[in-house]
Amino acid sequence: MDLARSLGASYAEARYHANRVSSIVLRNDRVLGAGVELEEGIGVRVIFGNVMSFAATNTLSREGVREAVESAIAKARSLAKSIRRPQNLAEAKVGRARYEVIAKRKFDAMSIEQKIEFMKDVWRHAVSSVREAKLTSFAIEYGEYEEVKEIVSSDGAHVVSYVPRIFMSVNLVLAHPQKGTAQRIVELGACGGLELLEDWKVGERVAEEVKAIENVLLHGVEPPHEPVDVVIGSEVVGLIVHESAGHPMEADRIWGREAAQAGESFVKPEMIGRERIGNEHATVVDDPTIPGSFGFYLYDDEGVPARARYIYFRGLINEPLHSRWTAYIFNTRSNAAARAMNYASEPIPRMANTYLEPGDYRFDELIEDIKLGVYVKSYMEWNIDDIRWGQRYVGLEAYMIRNGELAEPVRNPVLEFTTRTFYSSIVAKSRDLRFYPGICGKGEPMQGVPVWFGGPDVRIAKIRLGVAPR
Amino acid sequence: MTEDVLQLALYAVERGKVHGFDEVAALVSMTKRTMVKFANNEVTVVQSWIDTETAIYVARRSRIMVINSACRDRECVDRVLRSAIERIDHVDVSEIYAPLPSPTGKPLTGLVDKRIVESPEIVIESVPKLIDTSLREGAEKVAGVLYAGYRRKGLATSSGAELAEEATFIEVYARAFYRENSGHWAWTSTRFDEEKIVDVGRRAASYAKISLPVTTIEPGRYTAILSPLVVGNLMTYLAHAASALMAMIGMSLFTKYGPGTRVGNEMVSIIDEPHDPELPNSTGFDDEGVETRRKYILRKGVFETYLHNTKTARRMGAETTGNAGWLDPHPWNIVVEPGDMSEDEMFREVRRGLFVLNNWYTRYQNMVEGQFSTVTRDTVIYIENGEPRAIVKRLRIAETFPNMLRSVVGVSKTRYDIAWWEVEVPTRAPFMLIENVQFTKPEV
Repeated sequence: MDLARSLGASYAEARYHANRVSSIVLRNDRVLGAGVELEEGIGVRVIFGNVMSFAATNTLSREGVREAVESAIAKARSLAKSIRRPQNLAEAKVGRARYEVIAKRKFDAMSIEQKIEFMKDVWRHAVSSVREAKLTSFAIEYGEYEEVKEIVSSDGAHVVSYVPRIFMSVNLVLAHPQKGTAQRIVELGACGGLELLEDWKVGERVAEEVKAIENVLLHGVEPPHEPVDVVIGSEVVGLIVHESAGHPMEADRIWGREAAQAGESFVKPEMIGRERIGNEHATVVDDPTIPGSFGFYLYDDEGVPARARYIYFRGLINEPLHSRWTAYIFNTRSNAAARAMNYASEPIPRMANTYLEPGDYRFDELIEDIKLGVYVKSYMEWNIDDIRWGQRYVGLEAYMIRNGELAEPVRNPVLEFTTRTFYSSIVAKSRDLRFYPGICGKGEPMQGVPVWFGGPDVRIAKIRLGVAPR
Repeated sequence: MTEDVLQLALYAVERGKVHGFDEVAALVSMTKRTMVKFANNEVTVVQSWIDTETAIYVARRSRIMVINSACRDRECVDRVLRSAIERIDHVDVSEIYAPLPSPTGKPLTGLVDKRIVESPEIVIESVPKLIDTSLREGAEKVAGVLYAGYRRKGLATSSGAELAEEATFIEVYARAFYRENSGHWAWTSTRFDEEKIVDVGRRAASYAKISLPVTTIEPGRYTAILSPLVVGNLMTYLAHAASALMAMIGMSLFTKYGPGTRVGNEMVSIIDEPHDPELPNSTGFDDEGVETRRKYILRKGVFETYLHNTKTARRMGAETTGNAGWLDPHPWNIVVEPGDMSEDEMFREVRRGLFVLNNWYTRYQNMVEGQFSTVTRDTVIYIENGEPRAIVKRLRIAETFPNMLRSVVGVSKTRYDIAWWEVEVPTRAPFMLIENVQFTKPEV
């Protein structure tokens, strides 16, 4: 940081960032292999000649860091003459702090053999849950992650942090000679230690999934062709708010910085604080400070203290996710959304833990007056267009609702609607708030960061469901 | 120039054996890369990286581990190996263990453009020229990326590989906007060519400027002309699915459709190409030291081979195809074989259909069935009786790979070397004419 300043940078920030990952992969009950990732380095960001320039190195000697800083300055200098508008960061109250997430059970409290045995037990749960179909593929990956950061900036930030996480992914394929195949990927993730493995009850959870998917495969019917009441499960709701509230409210996307990659946003600057996107049920929050969450942090990667952001508030397009760079452009303050995946990545506005605020219904109350409807509990396929407007979610575990009760399973019902359609159609929400993990991708080069997304079960007004091609 | 990386790899192998591993492979890569990102007609950030990565594969009593580290010196390598030897005996025997093969790889030469190594400033200064050209062509705003760099890699294995290679790469893409429409184009190579870079901006603008009324169409099945950007995206998914490991764990349509199965019609041939000096991922040896080779993944519509390393090959009773990845095999560069049509002829063939310039967000409902959807972006043109009639906004293709590949009725003779955010593996792709493609759109 000091070197960059002495070379003429008007702003300089340096981030030591280490990620240590230890993983094991099994197919069925057999180990395929084990892996370790040890990644550490320094990312330096400067403003020089009104150009924002970022350089990173994993050579942690003075010479290595000097080369990175000089590279950042040299590249900025070569483009300074063609810059059309000065780049800068908004003023911010940056922090000086040290924090860490404490694992109740450290990663070394179980041996590698015990962890492998734990994974085999998940496989045994899966196999013993199948009745008529065959479990043709089962793969499980277990990963322990440790993230260490130290951030300093020329305007006074100094934040040191340590966050351990666990992420598990299970791929299941069930096949039946007459009914074909069905696939499910179950993911579990949070910050903390080995206590999570007990909390998650992974074997039982996977067993339930296998039974449900087999039921859909063997007995699933086509969804009704006419518009029906639909109850969307919290897993799908979480993804919907991530895709259609969180992403379109990233300020860099609104400005157009991601236009050639993940795209722009249907949200324009003049809509913020003025235009409605949904009804009074549509309150979406992004909160990095939720204890135990997968996207947990207390200070962002520009050193700004984190807080909850009300992205949509009772249907109003309310508060975008800002870094100090976007805050400068929008003439506002950062709300601590700047995150970087690793030392080699620049900090950009990202979600942390995004959710739809829950309501006050029990699940049975949500469906009790539905004569004919569909409950979409989980999904596999999803996507959304590049302004975050038209989106599609293909249900996996889904059921008919008949006369207020869950009935036979439904195969591959398709929800395809616009952002406004969803947020304007919410009729009622359950009181249950559940979260699901994801690795959210954005930026160039692509940065994957851990997030949670969640919400309650949501009932929406009548809508026509599609059917996925076979 | 490649000595340093090879020396560290050799050291890792030698020390690995001293530490008690039966087998060791080490791949040391040193890269210098620069990326210029631009949006709203201005540079938004310049990023540069100087990195060393040391990946080490170790095996002991048929147990295997892969360690990816940032080691650039011997002390660090020793530390990593010490840590691995403490862990490896606790891991079960690997289901796919096979001994490292004897080395057959031969480094390729001629993959380096010195201008990218010695004058990165000249390379990045072509960005303002791209932006200006796009604006001169009529774009109102333009965004994109120029990414260029140099890498050298050294591979040593305990079965005797001592191989080193160096290469440069460049990847450029731009998205141009004009009123309600946008255009996109991309180019990749091992060599710097300012005219090609500027042409990316020109071509993106020319699509954005297409002057047609905007219309809506009903969801349903249409004949589709897919541009090389779309073909590149879909072929990247298909080529990754050809990994034998992905097939083994049920994350591929080739779990269901084995070698010898017809999954497309005769016009569809897809090649994994590691030897083309123009394509950035070309290399003479894979991560096990095996000689890479050109191979058909699909030949005239028939799935010909999985991509193998020696482990997956042994598990499936096949030979390695030179595509290691120590655990997961992967494609190098993808080449789609050309057909005999021009783009104009494709348009003339369409009675009622859609031209799709670009797509993103391809996701599977069921990988084993190849059942997916992907969202169109940028220019989509509605065509009637061979004539472009209107611009259509943001449709979705919802299909299965076998359905689409069996319905190809034309492939262009001209191909384009493409890589961008949504085409991660460099791909030489043509335009494709496909019948009966299902398009959907949101319920409003």
